[in-house]
Amino acid sequence: MIAWLRNPWARPRALVVVTGAYILWSLLPVALAVMFAFNAGRSRTTWQGFSFRWFTSQVGVFHDPALQSALKHTLLLGVICVAVATPLGVTLALGLQRWRGRGAGTVNTMMLLPLVTPEIVMGVALLLLFLKVFPGLGLGTVPQAIGQVTFTLSYVVVIVRGRLVSIGKEYEEAAADLGAPPHDQILRVVLPLLAPAIVASAAVVFALSIDDFVVTQYLSGAPSTTTVPMLLYASARGAPTPALNAIATVTLVITLATLSLAFLVYRRFAGGGDAAVVAAMEM
Amino acid sequence: MQSRWTWRLLASPGVLWLSVFFLVAFYAVVAVAFGNQDTFSAPVPFWKPWDWNVGYMLAVLRDLWSGGQYLTVFVRTFVFVAVSLALSLLIGYPVAYYAARHVHGRWRGIVLVSLILPFWINYLMRMLAWINLLSPDGWATKVLHWVGIDHVFIWLGLLANEGGWLDGQPSTVILALVYGYVPFLILPLYASLDRIDQRQIEAARDLGAGPFSAFRRVTLPLSVPGILAGSVLVALPMFGDYYTPDLVSASPKTNIIGNQIDELTRQGSEKVTGASLTLVLSAAMLVLMVYYLRTTRAAGAEATAEA
Amino acid sequence: MSEHELQGEVRLEELTKRFGEVAAVDGIDLRMPPGEFFTMLGPSGCGKTTTLRMIAGFERPTSGRIVLDGVDVAQVPAHRRNVNTVFQSYALFPHLDVAGNVAFGLKYRRLSKDDTRKRVAQALELVQLGGFAQRKPGQLSGGQQQRVALARALVLTPRVLLLDEPLGALDARLRKGLQVELKALQAELGITFVFVTHDQEEALTMSDRVAVMNGGRVEQAGSPREVYEEPSTEFVADFLGVSNLLAGHASADGAGSCVLKVGERTFRAAQGATSSRGEVKAMIRPERIVVEQHDTPGDNRLPGLVERAVFLGSSFELHVRVVGGDVLKAFLPNDGTAMPAAEGAAVTLHLPPDALRVLAPSAGPSEVEPADPVASSG
Repeated sequence: MIAWLRNPWARPRALVVVTGAYILWSLLPVALAVMFAFNAGRSRTTWQGFSFRWFTSQVGVFHDPALQSALKHTLLLGVICVAVATPLGVTLALGLQRWRGRGAGTVNTMMLLPLVTPEIVMGVALLLLFLKVFPGLGLGTVPQAIGQVTFTLSYVVVIVRGRLVSIGKEYEEAAADLGAPPHDQILRVVLPLLAPAIVASAAVVFALSIDDFVVTQYLSGAPSTTTVPMLLYASARGAPTPALNAIATVTLVITLATLSLAFLVYRRFAGGGDAAVVAAMEM
Repeated sequence: MQSRWTWRLLASPGVLWLSVFFLVAFYAVVAVAFGNQDTFSAPVPFWKPWDWNVGYMLAVLRDLWSGGQYLTVFVRTFVFVAVSLALSLLIGYPVAYYAARHVHGRWRGIVLVSLILPFWINYLMRMLAWINLLSPDGWATKVLHWVGIDHVFIWLGLLANEGGWLDGQPSTVILALVYGYVPFLILPLYASLDRIDQRQIEAARDLGAGPFSAFRRVTLPLSVPGILAGSVLVALPMFGDYYTPDLVSASPKTNIIGNQIDELTRQGSEKVTGASLTLVLSAAMLVLMVYYLRTTRAAGAEATAEA
Repeated sequence: MSEHELQGEVRLEELTKRFGEVAAVDGIDLRMPPGEFFTMLGPSGCGKTTTLRMIAGFERPTSGRIVLDGVDVAQVPAHRRNVNTVFQSYALFPHLDVAGNVAFGLKYRRLSKDDTRKRVAQALELVQLGGFAQRKPGQLSGGQQQRVALARALVLTPRVLLLDEPLGALDARLRKGLQVELKALQAELGITFVFVTHDQEEALTMSDRVAVMNGGRVEQAGSPREVYEEPSTEFVADFLGVSNLLAGHASADGAGSCVLKVGERTFRAAQGATSSRGEVKAMIRPERIVVEQHDTPGDNRLPGLVERAVFLGSSFELHVRVVGGDVLKAFLPNDGTAMPAAEGAAVTLHLPPDALRVLAPSAGPSEVEPADPVASSG
C-alpha cells in the first residue's frame, strides 16, 4: 500500500483520490436530483419507483400551465437574447479589435465591466433604470430581455475577439490586396472565418440566458414573466413535487445539448477542442 | 489601414447599448441613492449632482460607522466569503493541479468536461439538489447522521440540532457557497497551472529538489497570479449573492449584504437605502474589479499585440 | 494571359515610415524599372517588409511618395491599387477552395461566370496546378499553396507583383526549384516583380537588380554582380557572401589606388573608395586570396598560420591567423588533390591589389552576421 502511494512514476495517488472525490461530490447531487425527477411518488427525498409522470401527466412539465408558461418564457427570452446579443457582440468585437487611438481602452473597459460586476448590482441598476428612466416599458419581457442582453454581450465579445486574434490580419489584407473594399473584407472573409466562434458564443448566450436568475427576477413583472430559474427559486423550499426536478432536468438537457452542439461545431471548424475551452476560460 | 471610422461605426451599436443599459443604469443607482422618497415611499431620483440629497447615504454610512445593523451584515458577508474562498482554494487547488499537470491523453478530456460541467448546470438546480439532500429526511442528512458528522457539528456549535441543516445555519450557507462557486475557481487555477512550463519544474528536480519541495518552491509561486485572479473572479459574485443563503437558510440570521439589498430594493419599499447600500458595496468591490480588469487587459493587450 | 504593356514602374521617393520614435523606413529612394525582377535584401528589421507593405497599401507612409507609373498612390487604399501581393504565409482563404481563392479578386472585375472560370483555369495552368481547382487549401502542400497564392495574384494581371519572402517556409530543395520557376514566370509575363528576402543567395540567383537595405536605409542598389563584387559599404560586403575585413590607414598612391597601412605592413588597394584617406576598412573575398608557400616574397603578402582547414565538398576553406592577430578566410576549389595546407602549417597569403577593396562606412547599424538564416519580418 505504501509502495503504491509512494511510486514516484505514478501520478500522485492522493491527488487522484481527491479529484475523484471532488468530481463525485460535485456531480452526484445533481444526478440524484435528476433521478428524482423520475420518482413515481411525490417525494423529492425518498425513492418510490420509476415513472415519467412528472413529465407527461397533467401536473407534469408538459401539461401543467404554470410549468409550461415558465418553460416557454424561458426559451423565449433565450431566443431573443441570442438574436440581439450575438450581432451586437460580433460587431462590437470587430470594431473594438481594430479600433485605434483614443477611446479604445475606455470602450474595452466598459465592455469588460459587466463580467466583473456582481449580479445584484446589475439587477438593482437595471430595475431602477426601468422604473425611473423608461417607465413606459414597465417590467416584464422586454426589460428582462434587455437586461439579459446587457450582461451576455460581453461574453460574445470576448469569445469572438479571441478568435479574431488567432485569425490575424492577414486574410483581410489579402482580400484588400485582391480588390475587396472594407465591407467585403468582413463579409466575404472575416465572418466566414469567425463562424465557429459566432456559433459558440450564441450557444453560450443561450445557456447563460436560460440559466439566469438575478437580472431576470429583478426585471420580471406579471406572473407570466416567470422563468424556470425563478420558479425553482420560489418553490425550492416549499413542498413542491418532483415536477420541479423535472423542469430543472428539462432545462439542463436543453443547455447541455446546446453547448455540446456548439462545442462540436467549434472543434470541427476551428481546430481543437482546447480552443473552445480556452475561449470559455478567457473571461 | 482602413478608415478609422469604419471600426468605430461598427462598434457603435454595442457601445451605445452598454452606455445606456449599463452606465446610465448605474447612474440611476447613484441618482436614487442621493435622491429622496415621495409620500408613496417610491424613490425619487435626483439626476443632477448639485441637487443630491445625501441624507439616506449618510444614514447608511453612520450605521456602518457605529456598528449598526448594516455593519453586522457586511462583516458577516466578509467572513462568509473569506471562509468559503479559503475552503474553495483548499479543495480546488489540488483538483486543478492534478487536472493540469498529471492528466494526459484521453482522460484529460473527460476530467475537463467533468470540471466544466457544473458551470453549465443551473446554479439554482445545484442548490435545489442540496436542499433535497439536506432536508430532514434527505439522503445527505441520513449519511451525515450515520457517520456522526452532525454530532461533531453540533458539538462545535455549527449546527443547532439534528437534521436542522436548512434552518438558518451559517455552516450550511458556507458549504453551499463553496459547492456553488468552487467550479468557478478551479478553471482559472487550472489555466494558470497549465501554463507553467514543465521544464522549470524538471530543472528544479534536476537540481535536487524533491517533488514536494519543487512544488513548494517553483509551482506554487508561479501559480500565485492564477490564485489571485481566480479568487477575485469568485469573490466578486459571492459578495453579491443573496439567493444562496435564501435557499439553504431562509433565516435573517445568515443574511449577507446581498440579502439586505434585495430586501430593501426588490422586496421592500426602501429603494433609496437599498441603492445607497448598493453603492457602498460597489465601492468596496471596486478594488477587486480594478485589479481583475488590469490583469485581463494586460493579457488581452499582449494577445492583440501578437496578432 | 493577355499581353502586358510594359508598364509597372515603381518609384519610391523619400519614403519614410515611423512607428512612434523609430523610423522603420528612413527616407529611401528607389526606382524599380518596369518588367524587372527587383529584390529588396536585408536582415530582420531592415525595413524591407515595411516598404513592401507600403507599396501594397497595408501601411500608410509617414511621408514620401510611392509613384506607380507616374501616379502617386501613397494615400490610395490597398483595394484600389493595381498591385498584388504574395504573402509569406500565402494567406489562402481556408473556407474557399482553390478555384474560389483564385477567383476572389475577379468578382470586382464584373466578368461573366464563364469568363471567370476561364481565367481561373488559365491562371492555374500557368502555375502548373491544372487539376486542383476543387481542392481546399488545407489539402495542399506548401509548394502547392505557394502556387495558388501566385495564381490568385496573377489572375488579376497586376502591373507589379509583390512577393514577401514567399519561399521562406519551404524546404531547401523545393525552394531552389521554385526560385527557377519564379524567375522563368517573371521573364515570361514581363511584369515587375518586387521580391523581399533575407537570403542573399536567393537574391543573387533570381534578381535583375538588388537593393541591400539596413536600418531603414538603402545601402546599395545594383545588379547582383555589382553588389557582390563591388560592395560600396562594409555592411553590403559583409552581408553578401563572406568577406574578410581589414582595418587600416589609407594614404595616396597613384590614380585609382591607394596605399593601405595595416599594422606594420603596407598594401596597395586598387578597388573601391581609393580616394578615402585616414582610417578605413578594406575587404577581400575569400576566393580571391591566393595561398602560397611559406615565405614567398613580393608585395601585398602576409604570413600566417593555418588555424583550421575545412573540407566543404566542392571547396576547401582555410582559416588563417595572420600577423597582427586577424583571422582571414580563404576558399580554394577542390581540384582532386589533397589538402592544400594542413592545420598548423605556415603559409603566405597574397592579397592582389585589384581584389583588395576600400569600403565607405555603412549607412545603418553595423556588424551583422553574414548570410544569417534567421526568419525575417523586414
